[in-house]
Amino acid sequence: MGTSTTDHIVILDQLGIGYAKGRELLNKIDLRVGRGEMVALIGRNGTGKSTLLKSMIGLIPLLKGNCYLDGVSLNHYTIQQRAKVISYVSSQVSQLPSLSVRELVSLGRMPHTGWMGRFSGEDNKLVKKALTEVNMQHLIDRRLDQLSDGERQRALIARAFVQDTPLMVLDEPTAFLDIPNKYELIRLLSQFRNQGKSIVYSTHDLETALMCADKLWVIHQEVVREGAPEDLGVSGLFDALFDAAGIAFDREARKFKYKSDPKGTVRLRGGPEIALIWTRNAIERVGFEVNGDGNMDVEVAPSETGFRWILTRNGLKEEFHTLYSLARFLNRDE
Amino acid sequence: MILLGLLIVFLALLDIRLGSARITFSDMMHHLRGIESLTEQQWLILTKFRLPRLATALLAGAALPLCGLQMQTLFRNPLAGPYVLGISSGASFGAALVVLGAGATGLVATWSLAAAAWVGAGMVMLLLLFVSFRIKDVMTILILGIMFSSGLAAIISIMQYFSQASALKSFIIWSMGSLGNVTGVQLQIMAWTIIPLLAISLAFSKVLNGLMLGEEYAVTMGIRVKRSRIIILATTSILAGTITAFCGPIGFIGIAVPHVARYLFAQSDHKLLLPATMLVGMTVMVLSDIASQLPGTERVLPINAVTSLIGIPVVIWLVIVNRKAQSM
Repeated sequence: MGTSTTDHIVILDQLGIGYAKGRELLNKIDLRVGRGEMVALIGRNGTGKSTLLKSMIGLIPLLKGNCYLDGVSLNHYTIQQRAKVISYVSSQVSQLPSLSVRELVSLGRMPHTGWMGRFSGEDNKLVKKALTEVNMQHLIDRRLDQLSDGERQRALIARAFVQDTPLMVLDEPTAFLDIPNKYELIRLLSQFRNQGKSIVYSTHDLETALMCADKLWVIHQEVVREGAPEDLGVSGLFDALFDAAGIAFDREARKFKYKSDPKGTVRLRGGPEIALIWTRNAIERVGFEVNGDGNMDVEVAPSETGFRWILTRNGLKEEFHTLYSLARFLNRDE
Repeated sequence: MILLGLLIVFLALLDIRLGSARITFSDMMHHLRGIESLTEQQWLILTKFRLPRLATALLAGAALPLCGLQMQTLFRNPLAGPYVLGISSGASFGAALVVLGAGATGLVATWSLAAAAWVGAGMVMLLLLFVSFRIKDVMTILILGIMFSSGLAAIISIMQYFSQASALKSFIIWSMGSLGNVTGVQLQIMAWTIIPLLAISLAFSKVLNGLMLGEEYAVTMGIRVKRSRIIILATTSILAGTITAFCGPIGFIGIAVPHVARYLFAQSDHKLLLPATMLVGMTVMVLSDIASQLPGTERVLPINAVTSLIGIPVVIWLVIVNRKAQSM
């Protein structure tokens, strides 16, 4: 391995992972996490994302190859030493005990306290700091079963943060979260990254990963590839990734769209910009293509209540007051 | 916690005072000062019956709920208790072999009964530990424990079916539990087994805290889960096995008391919860002993029935009125 090991907090070397020898889920995995990098692990259900994360942190024995943490082989760590290098947030959110947020987060100090688990002033300060980081100071005495999904996930992340490790590993931290919570959570992880932590998290949410991750690990057809999001984009991997599912990657918008042949073409005029963007979304959603020389014409114009849309086709005009009615009309009238 | 301690002292004194023979506190105090105010018979009753009985109640009251709490945390199941591993069935099986199989009855049987019950509990424990060395999933251990239990219960009922009426009666009386049969050397054995194990369990409070989030999290927080699990299973087995061997199965307080302690102290930190559970357990057990003696009469009720009758309303109340008790 040519480069200096100190540049990387994790090096996976020819790793084979799975639950039984001879029946590896993934083989010959060569991946790295640089110091202070945020890595997003992408892959469809059942491709082995959780297995990879758990193998990497020693919850599942490695079947082949080796994993180096901070330059030292995983096998050379005791469980206590490991707990000072990696903290983990599991994808399992059910079956949490009814602890208060403070009690949960305090558990994270466990590797640093003595055999009786006595707390020092320093430990208490760190717990407070972590709760401030995840913006939950006001919920410190709330019980876990009284939190929303987003708050609970942030409390679990605060527990990992308090463990004060250079590497944080999170298994699907954004599952079950609504879109604002999802963005908030990824922003939180980016914040930790900016403080110098290395972060590896698995997700189904390619959009946020493309926006924030320094590197992606993509599992596709039993091979894991790594690279900057843009490198993988250039290689056409994203197109291949979801090809089978009938969706295509929109390279410009950095998101996925359902693939289908356009039912027709529409020329879009008028304004303002915001109305044009959403009109375009609506037209594309019902299967039409927007381009300059369409055989239909949609003009967006302001009205007393907001906007109105005038559809001109074969000289006939039709006026709509919501995008819903426009989309419905286009949809029904192929 | 201090209040609870005082309550225990008060109840303990009351427990010694009560009984068919009248022995007053002032007589006891005088006797301790060297004034011969107690008859030889009264002194005998006090030292050979009432005090050992109190000691047994305190030991069982501390140990069984502690086991229950350990099992509830380890299996992350609020319904787990000291007998969930099949320990009491093992003990019952041993006792059944002696009483029903060999036909030993009466006073002669007390020793052999305790020994056999101890061996029975020990066998189940060894089987369980053997399994837990090999099995990774803690829930599998729970299921196996329940299966052992049911299997042994089936064998015991076959033995009961084919046994003599007198033997059957002594077995049933054993299975109702009693705090009064442990005296002298037996009490010493019991105390020397239980007290060190209680201390070991208290030292595991940090580990139990870590296990609350499940074994995966515990490992990532630096806890040697497999080793800890084996030690916790072993202490629970020996504690519950010893008490069952000498007192018979004592139901319910093992499951109920940890919930009461959680409610009273609003705590989930085992550093506090473990001693709290022991204190509440001792209180409940002495209280049950007082109740079982039916103050004012000469009859003594089986302790197993009394603990259940006291425990069940408490748990029902906790579950319905207080949500904290539902969740662990």
